[in-house]
Amino acid sequence: MPDFEERDLVERAKEDPDAFGALYDRYFPQIYRFAYSRVRDQSLAEDVTSEVFFKALRNISRYTYSGHPFSSWLYQITLNAVADHYRGQHGEVELEEGADLPSTAPSVVDEVVRRDRSRRIWSAIDQLPRHQRAAMVLKFGEDKKIEEIAQIMGKSAGAVKLLLHRGVERLRRELPPEFEAGLT
Amino acid sequence: MNEPELDELFQDPAQREVVELLRMSRPAAPPLDPNFRTYLRTKLMTEARRTLQPRAARRGFSFSLRPKVLLPAMAAVAAGFLVVLGIQVFLQNQSPSSMVALDVSHIQNKTNVATGDPIVIPFSGPVDKNAVAASVVIEPATSVTKQWVGQNLVIIPDHPLAPNTAYSVTLKPRATPPTPDPSNPSSTPRPVPLPTPVVVHFTTVRAPVAPVVPPSYLSANVSYGSESRLADAGTIFNGGWTPSGQLLVTRPEGQPGPGSLPTPSATATASGPLAPKATTDIWLMSASGTPIRLLVPGGNFPAAAPSGGVFAAWQVTPSDQANLGIWDLQGNWQGTIATLDGVPDRAPVWIGSDRIAYINQGRLLVVDVHGAQVNARSIKMQRGSLAGSPLGTLLAVESVDGLSTVIDLASGSPSPLPGLATGFAWSSKGDLALLVPQPSGIDLYIAAGGKNARRIASSPSGQTWSDLNWAPDAASLMLASKPVGASSSTSRLMLINADGTGLRDFASQQEDSSPQWSSHGDLVLFTRQDEAGGRAFWTANTVPSEVDAAARQAVAEVERFMLARLKGDRTAAQSSLDAAGLTAYQGGASPLLSPAGSKFDRYYPVTVQQTGSNPNKFLVGVRIFVSRSGVQRSFFEEQLTLVLSDQRYLVDAVTSTPSVALGHGPTVVSYEVVSTSQGSQVRVHFDADLRPETVTTSTIQVRDSDGNPIGSQLTFDPDNHLATLTVTLQSRSTYQLVVTTGVTDINGVTMAEEYHAQVVGR
Repeated sequence: MPDFEERDLVERAKEDPDAFGALYDRYFPQIYRFAYSRVRDQSLAEDVTSEVFFKALRNISRYTYSGHPFSSWLYQITLNAVADHYRGQHGEVELEEGADLPSTAPSVVDEVVRRDRSRRIWSAIDQLPRHQRAAMVLKFGEDKKIEEIAQIMGKSAGAVKLLLHRGVERLRRELPPEFEAGLT
Repeated sequence: MNEPELDELFQDPAQREVVELLRMSRPAAPPLDPNFRTYLRTKLMTEARRTLQPRAARRGFSFSLRPKVLLPAMAAVAAGFLVVLGIQVFLQNQSPSSMVALDVSHIQNKTNVATGDPIVIPFSGPVDKNAVAASVVIEPATSVTKQWVGQNLVIIPDHPLAPNTAYSVTLKPRATPPTPDPSNPSSTPRPVPLPTPVVVHFTTVRAPVAPVVPPSYLSANVSYGSESRLADAGTIFNGGWTPSGQLLVTRPEGQPGPGSLPTPSATATASGPLAPKATTDIWLMSASGTPIRLLVPGGNFPAAAPSGGVFAAWQVTPSDQANLGIWDLQGNWQGTIATLDGVPDRAPVWIGSDRIAYINQGRLLVVDVHGAQVNARSIKMQRGSLAGSPLGTLLAVESVDGLSTVIDLASGSPSPLPGLATGFAWSSKGDLALLVPQPSGIDLYIAAGGKNARRIASSPSGQTWSDLNWAPDAASLMLASKPVGASSSTSRLMLINADGTGLRDFASQQEDSSPQWSSHGDLVLFTRQDEAGGRAFWTANTVPSEVDAAARQAVAEVERFMLARLKGDRTAAQSSLDAAGLTAYQGGASPLLSPAGSKFDRYYPVTVQQTGSNPNKFLVGVRIFVSRSGVQRSFFEEQLTLVLSDQRYLVDAVTSTPSVALGHGPTVVSYEVVSTSQGSQVRVHFDADLRPETVTTSTIQVRDSDGNPIGSQLTFDPDNHLATLTVTLQSRSTYQLVVTTGVTDINGVTMAEEYHAQVVGR
């Protein structure tokens, strides 16, 4: 959708339920997909997606165009909703940026035999620390520009580049050697 | 890598390798409950309508993706329409100013309610949500999920409601208990009086009853009728049916339009974002080949959405790019969802009505109708077969390496198909037909629901098959058959039953191929090689068998008879009776018209069976609903015997059942007798969710003329309320179907009456 069309639609969505419905129809797939990539649980992804769109509805009157796509705002809300969820999970341990891939990495390797390569490389991304994973998913799963990822994550472009660099480097280190042959 | 910011970031070759792998792949599509999206939208829209405030001045740019145009067409299948049941509720502890007052005029007693719709009950005042939700009772018994969305109670059936069924939703609107008076803490809130229950009535759509189904024919019995050439060879490049029975075709640019007026192509009505480069145009054409209107200048390869209303197609731009767009059948552009470098050589493929698959640079891509990419797997494809299930998320793919799979886009999981499988075709019921080449011919497989492909037939030695196309009733397939290695000029059209039996010629011509049934089943579109070697598009009409045509005629007579009775027109009703029939009604076998104080409100056929050895006698069961004071209270059934008399079927005999009060336990909605390779099946459809343990050969039986149960095997499909008895019936012998009151719904309520109906062996 061209930028001016989206801006028009967003402006109308501040007062027109049908326009908001159109935004929902347009962005539901990617927001749900992104939420799921972060929480890896269908029920939780549904909760997060629901929360994102209800927050968007409640606050759309205050949304102002900042030069980034409307979806950036939705991604931001999603990240916050996921973070809220993790904050509520006292027993959950989030990997540190500097940690190695978990000791379950061999199980990923075991799955090499039965999974296709695409699936494996994304399984490996699932094992990355939270911020690296978010940056990698937004870059390679959602095709966002680094500047937009930075806006979504509330970080500088340089910080995002660092996250991507670290993520790719860790995948390079940890993935089995046959990946060098590339996808077929 | 060809992406500057990644090129800049990753200089190391090993890292670039990983980045390239990432760019070529995508994470698997997450599991998604197909109801969730619709459900969340429902909630959001309800809240949006409640909270969003319109401003005085509206609208900005005059054009957009036009969601109001596109979305309803898409949502019709993807989401269905909401049933909003308005009710008038008086909350007794509220001031009159806050009483609920909703418009119920177009909602209460609504008929033709789709069976898959959620039920939304809006309240306008504070209510005790838990108490209200707990008070909901649905008759017939139906398993549902209840959710509160703001002040709306959303009731979502766990699976589709039964057709032809009057439902009642009863609930007790109980207000929020009053809070204590803070100025007088010792005061005790007055108990909230229990209000009178609110009852909302609605009726679901009338479902087809075999063999009177749309299409009103059995494809397994049709034969070739008259044929018609749509246009000269070379004047239609490709084409297909719309769900409403018109044709979407690609023609060379500048072809004559209605009235044979030449129609300028690229200069015609702008129908897309850019002026197209026209070498071909997409036209809407009647089934007889009359051009109706130019839809897409510069368009090619149209593909109609299964839900109707819109189609996807390619439109070439002046820069030799191709836009994948969506248009409606008026030619109104709805949106562009992808752009390719180069001109595609195949049509986009719909998967359900909200996803589209296409090939770009040797890769399979799937997008939703807004262009958002939805597929997870990176698959190489070129010329292989590609077909999307009309029902939902399954896509059959023949990849470039010869591996064929069915991908579930909801879960991302692939199901392998037999090696070299090709020629995919999905039926209207969601079964996949496919072909597997063999050294001396070809094997035909069916994968029910896209899984567990099973070989059902092989071509005769030395013959090969192609161009599979399902009949709309999913009972048979049409295909093109020719000798192995021969040119298409020797191809002819054949029919085969869905179980692999009954291979036979459809047409006698030797140069026909690419058959496509119309959605109504009355026509087949195909191509035929002409004398000059060109291929022209033709249609042939399908002629129902003598029995099916006779059944249709008998049912049409019943329709006339019943409409006259519903209107209270005794004279017209009696004109459908022969002397014996008239005597039967006058003798009190059944009331011809509704008794005083009541009204025959509606009816539907419960069963249609041939009883005579010749198609001159039919048994038609009808269920008649009786209302009093405008509310349907009960029903009874008549078994009408129709006999052919001087070119017209007349009612010759009638028996009727006792009246059954509505809303008291499960009932039989319809039944049918079907011949299968294993014997006869008697399929009994119920209206309520049943306790499976009560559906047994003790509670559902077919009895012989002496009243003894005959041996049977019984299966039960709880989601579709369908019990199937497999029995051996003597042809033209009469039996009794008996459903006892041992059958109970999920609440343990038994059938109000034992059900008896005639079954005739086929």
